[in-house]
Amino acid sequence: MVGAGLGGIRTALDLAEAEKDVVLVDRANNIGGLMTQLDRTFPTNNCDLCTLAPNLSESNRQEHISLMAMTEVRGVRGEKGNFTVSLATRPRYINLDKCTGCGECLKQFPHCVTFTPGLDHRAPTCMRYPQATPYAYAVDLSKCDDVAALVQCCPAGAINPDELGSTGDIACSSIVLSPGASLFDPSGLDYLGYSDNPDVVTSLEYERILSASGPTQGRLLCPSSGKQPKKVAWIQCIGSRGLQKGAAPYCSGACCMFALKEAMVTKERFQEDIETTIFYMDMRTFGKDYERYYQRAKNEFGVRFIHSRPHSVLRAPGAERMELGYTTDDSSRLLTEEFDMVVLSTGFRIGDEVRELASVFDLEINDSNFPVNPGLNQVETSRPGIYVAGTFQGPKDIPETMVQASAAACMAGKDVTVPEIEREREPALPPEKNVVGEEPRVGVFICDCGENIGGVIDVTTLVERVSKLAGVAVAEGVGHGCSRESMAHIRQTIEEQNINRVVIGGCSPRTHESKFQDLIRKAGLNKYLLEFANIRDQVTWVHSHQPVRAIDKAEELLKMAVGAVRKSHPLAEHSLPINKNVLVVGGGVAGMTSALEIADQGFKVYLVEQGVRLGGIAAQLHRTLEGDDIKSFVNDLIERTRAHELIEVITGGIIVDHTGMPGMFTTGMQVGRQMFYRRIEHGVTILATGAVPNRPDLFGLGKSEKVVTQLELQNLIHEGPERVQAWDNVVMIQCVGSRTEENPNCSRICCQNAVKNALHILEVNPEARIFVLYRDMRTYGFQEEYFQKAREKGVIFVRYHQDEPPRVEISDDQVAVTYHDIILERRIQVNADCVGLSTGLVAPDDSSEELAMIFKLPRTHDGYFLEDHVKLRPVDLPTPGFFVAGTAHAPKTIGESLTQARAVASRAMTILAREAINLGAVTAKVDSTRCASCLICVRACPFDVPFINADGYSEIDPARCHGCGMCAAECPAKAIELLQFEDDQVLAKIEQLFAKAVA
Amino acid sequence: MEHFEPVIVAFCCHYCAYTAADMAGSQRLVYPANVKIIRVPCSGKVDSLHIAKAFEKGADGVYVAGCLDGDCHFKNGNDKAARKVAHMRGYLEEIGIEPERLEMVKMSAGMGERFARVATEMTEKIRKLGPSPIKAAAA
Amino acid sequence: MITAERKPLDEILSYIKPFKRILLLGCNECVTVCAAGGRKEVGVLASGIQMSMLKNGASIEIREHTLERQCDPEYVEELVPIIDSADAVLSMACGCGVQQLATRFKDKPVFPAVNTKFMGGSDRHGVWTERCQGCGDCLLGVTGGICPIAKCAKQLMNGPCGGSVSGVCEIGDEVECAWHLIWERLKALGLTDQYLEIMPAKDWRAGGGSGPRKIVREDLAE
Repeated sequence: MVGAGLGGIRTALDLAEAEKDVVLVDRANNIGGLMTQLDRTFPTNNCDLCTLAPNLSESNRQEHISLMAMTEVRGVRGEKGNFTVSLATRPRYINLDKCTGCGECLKQFPHCVTFTPGLDHRAPTCMRYPQATPYAYAVDLSKCDDVAALVQCCPAGAINPDELGSTGDIACSSIVLSPGASLFDPSGLDYLGYSDNPDVVTSLEYERILSASGPTQGRLLCPSSGKQPKKVAWIQCIGSRGLQKGAAPYCSGACCMFALKEAMVTKERFQEDIETTIFYMDMRTFGKDYERYYQRAKNEFGVRFIHSRPHSVLRAPGAERMELGYTTDDSSRLLTEEFDMVVLSTGFRIGDEVRELASVFDLEINDSNFPVNPGLNQVETSRPGIYVAGTFQGPKDIPETMVQASAAACMAGKDVTVPEIEREREPALPPEKNVVGEEPRVGVFICDCGENIGGVIDVTTLVERVSKLAGVAVAEGVGHGCSRESMAHIRQTIEEQNINRVVIGGCSPRTHESKFQDLIRKAGLNKYLLEFANIRDQVTWVHSHQPVRAIDKAEELLKMAVGAVRKSHPLAEHSLPINKNVLVVGGGVAGMTSALEIADQGFKVYLVEQGVRLGGIAAQLHRTLEGDDIKSFVNDLIERTRAHELIEVITGGIIVDHTGMPGMFTTGMQVGRQMFYRRIEHGVTILATGAVPNRPDLFGLGKSEKVVTQLELQNLIHEGPERVQAWDNVVMIQCVGSRTEENPNCSRICCQNAVKNALHILEVNPEARIFVLYRDMRTYGFQEEYFQKAREKGVIFVRYHQDEPPRVEISDDQVAVTYHDIILERRIQVNADCVGLSTGLVAPDDSSEELAMIFKLPRTHDGYFLEDHVKLRPVDLPTPGFFVAGTAHAPKTIGESLTQARAVASRAMTILAREAINLGAVTAKVDSTRCASCLICVRACPFDVPFINADGYSEIDPARCHGCGMCAAECPAKAIELLQFEDDQVLAKIEQLFAKAVA
Repeated sequence: MEHFEPVIVAFCCHYCAYTAADMAGSQRLVYPANVKIIRVPCSGKVDSLHIAKAFEKGADGVYVAGCLDGDCHFKNGNDKAARKVAHMRGYLEEIGIEPERLEMVKMSAGMGERFARVATEMTEKIRKLGPSPIKAAAA
Repeated sequence: MITAERKPLDEILSYIKPFKRILLLGCNECVTVCAAGGRKEVGVLASGIQMSMLKNGASIEIREHTLERQCDPEYVEELVPIIDSADAVLSMACGCGVQQLATRFKDKPVFPAVNTKFMGGSDRHGVWTERCQGCGDCLLGVTGGICPIAKCAKQLMNGPCGGSVSGVCEIGDEVECAWHLIWERLKALGLTDQYLEIMPAKDWRAGGGSGPRKIVREDLAE
């Protein structure tokens, strides 16, 4: 796996969870890629770090992943199933096992490390963010003039100037490349003044300014003056869509959304104090629910939108503000307006290093240096066994990167054919000691973490004070508690001194709890007999100016931890055996692809289709925009699905009931004309139920045979070219029944569909005059090149406003379309031989509503299934064990549906590879003797887990409980406890904190 | 009250506020040592009873820190917490304790700076208010 | 269920002022369901009382206990071993529970900590509304399942008064006119004939107008 950005991490995790070994290689010092630099992400405007951090630490923990940071690929030999890759690792000069991430080296020798984005005027650091993985610094030795002093300054003795780096070969079955893309550098565009005007920034730089971990710690300030700006402008399509010097021909796909996000976050924070304006060519909010996000920006946040490409950004000498020149739709005059900051929405570009990578792997690339993919499978390259994902495959946003990452994992995992190497088995864990009923004997182990803790407070004094607490049997200072020697010592002490509860005084439980849980488990204690006192991150690091008060606080935190741990008791982690069959609902291309990918890996699949035949909407299509033959593709897919010995196809099957929990579901269905009832047991459920073509009663659809949908138009072109040859005028109308009040979202596929049909009409009838009446042309990514091609070939694209739509008049066999032409400033009438309406897709209302009820799954307001996390888990549904693929998720192209289908297969494999699912121990537990069955927990739970059972008491299924504890906090009978965070543990902390005051 | 050092209990949700506190640490942002954190999985887990007990046992101030609006990892725990805090402020007033001693704050995991600022401001505010009436009477 | 709401703290404090040891008693039935007097509210009130005392430099011994149902003698009997550890009892149950305690423990002062409000149900999480006033002669069968006694401010028996405007009662925008609702529902059910029938004056004796009421089931009562 080359590239450990968000996508690379996802691929690696998917493969590792499916029990495949992964070498994860990245050039950078720490993994995480571009997303770690963002402030917030659309469309939820969540904090990025909060959503990303769990993935980062997970990848480090996975035993199947070996992470190689600061490493580059030098060469590759061999073929699919048997590659040899040569790697070279740069020296970090820091021993990862010893570095505690304390930052002492950075404090004393800030110049030894460099950090890129230009706006970071803090001391340069390579630890860009506190959740960095690996949690360690790196040194640039060439910038250091006193190496001996640098080595000396490290309290952990982790700096090693003699490190040489390393090179070596690894053998692998398949290769996934996700090195990411760079961003366009606008320095060359002098009319924007980026290179000499500090207040003109790129969107990533703006993002860093907004970020709490950025150079201004989240304060929005003009770089030139340090004052808060009053007016900020965004200019879209910088370096994209082929109009400026050095620009790429494609659309970068994500910039409209991130400009909206930045403008909204800005408005949210500064309200009326700031004015935000976006200058755009087409607003391309084509993703799931993105159009609503756009509407919110406009209507709720008051972001101003101007349809224009600004001519210049100028600043007169000495002037405080910049002058932006532009024209608008309704005027040919040059307008000027003043702004304090200008943000350039710079698009994606393949960087030189990445281009080199493509040549190292000998991949065929297109004119824009992206790898060519040979067919409908987006993650394949010209070289079998090498797959791509993320922005290296083509410009895209995070959710699509995540989908491709999983799809790449699916493909790469299939190639791993070598028999599993016998692993060095960890020695079996000792049985857990039974501590119930024993007097608590607490062992308190306090780290000095080098100078980090020991430099502010005297650990020996602290140990002395803590040793006097009730229940404490042993209290010791342990130096670097997480070092190998200390861990061994702690384990020995627990065993020899018969310790039955443990408190660690040191760093944060967020980073180290699992490590010490594992340790005490090895020492024969249940993992949950542990408490942490965070005396580093939350005491010595922040109270170094008050050492006396710091040691008092450290003592208080330790007292609280000891009080709570005395009340702790062993908890059992829940696990469930897994049924390894898979149910796929929906027999379109997505459902069939998921079924085949899973069956190919040896698992039984039931493919249930409501209709009588397989193929879905794709069976009605002929060719893709890129020219792939869909008909033969679909036929081949159906044939392979029907022939696969592990796939049982059930047509005419309607799901009627469903029970069970992840890993062991039971679903009932009625099959065939006799409605014969059948029940299937399975561990994973995949929904690929698709969408249906919309057919709104608009523009005379159905009133004249000349007015057709794009789907019908496509059939006419391919089945009756002689009719098409007779046409003079064809008018296409976009957004018919989409982006309206009733159906606010964009159907995503229609713009490329119109371009495709226009080009295909011109193939059979080059003389035809084609008018495309659109609101925003949303030919994202490489589709833009076909949009350009259509314009070159003379297709006339005319923009219309929603409040002034075209009119279609039908009289006898005449159809006249009237529209307002903005440039000519007059109404134009066209007598059309054919009117093609882009009617898009809608969710199949009744059937998806019924399925949502049966499976208890949420849907969006417009009826599509709602994923668990729109950003990071785009194909996982909120109920574990459920996944969604294809247009059941949202409208998308065939290629995109197939990618999602493979992503789902990969996600499913992560469950199927295991024998049991571990559900953790932090779940809510009901004491039925206290329960008043009042329903308050049922109503309070955000996940609808509690229910009143047949005995009349609340029951909470630990397999479905998310462990938030809201039910426990609201239960009026005090009948619910959240395990590990029980009332007596919380109260013990409060008691202990104030124990002195009472005594 | 010459040298009054208030004791403030902060119930912090694991995903956002507690992480923000760690972030303040890694950025070495200095704030007063008066704030003691109790970690909870979600701010919605904070029980009215725990808030009451903290004051009863001698806290001069209490705050619940959760995720930003719409960011709760458990959908709406932060909203529930905010309602609970508002309710308990009324109760404190009834008891005769200044309701300003109890606050709800929201922050994202990346906001180390905000965590430090909230801790400082809360400490300053409580310092001005003086010891809680309960502690004052015991002294 | 019977709904209740905690009394103002000052009133509660005034009751228990003379006493040093209090038994604070919750009930695991209706008052738990309406979040007024279950185990949790007992804890919160105990803490509040304690704070009120500490604030004045005093303190009080509070023993917390919650019975399954305070209005039944057998459950109340559970208190026998602990009742003498307290000088007075403060009950968070409805009035029925408080009186049950007073009947059983004749020499022990018993005080209510909640105001018993009404017989009602929950509309949604945290909201309860009145549904029944126990008139003893249920009319719901002829009023479309909507009670004009509990839901009409004037307890009218034969249609709305002049204060009903667009379905809203004159006493407040949030109060729906009961008779408007009854009419709409009867119309939907096709039972408007019932509406047109004049109801005679109501006999309020069944509703307690002639003293405390009693139910005796001969087959059960010994």
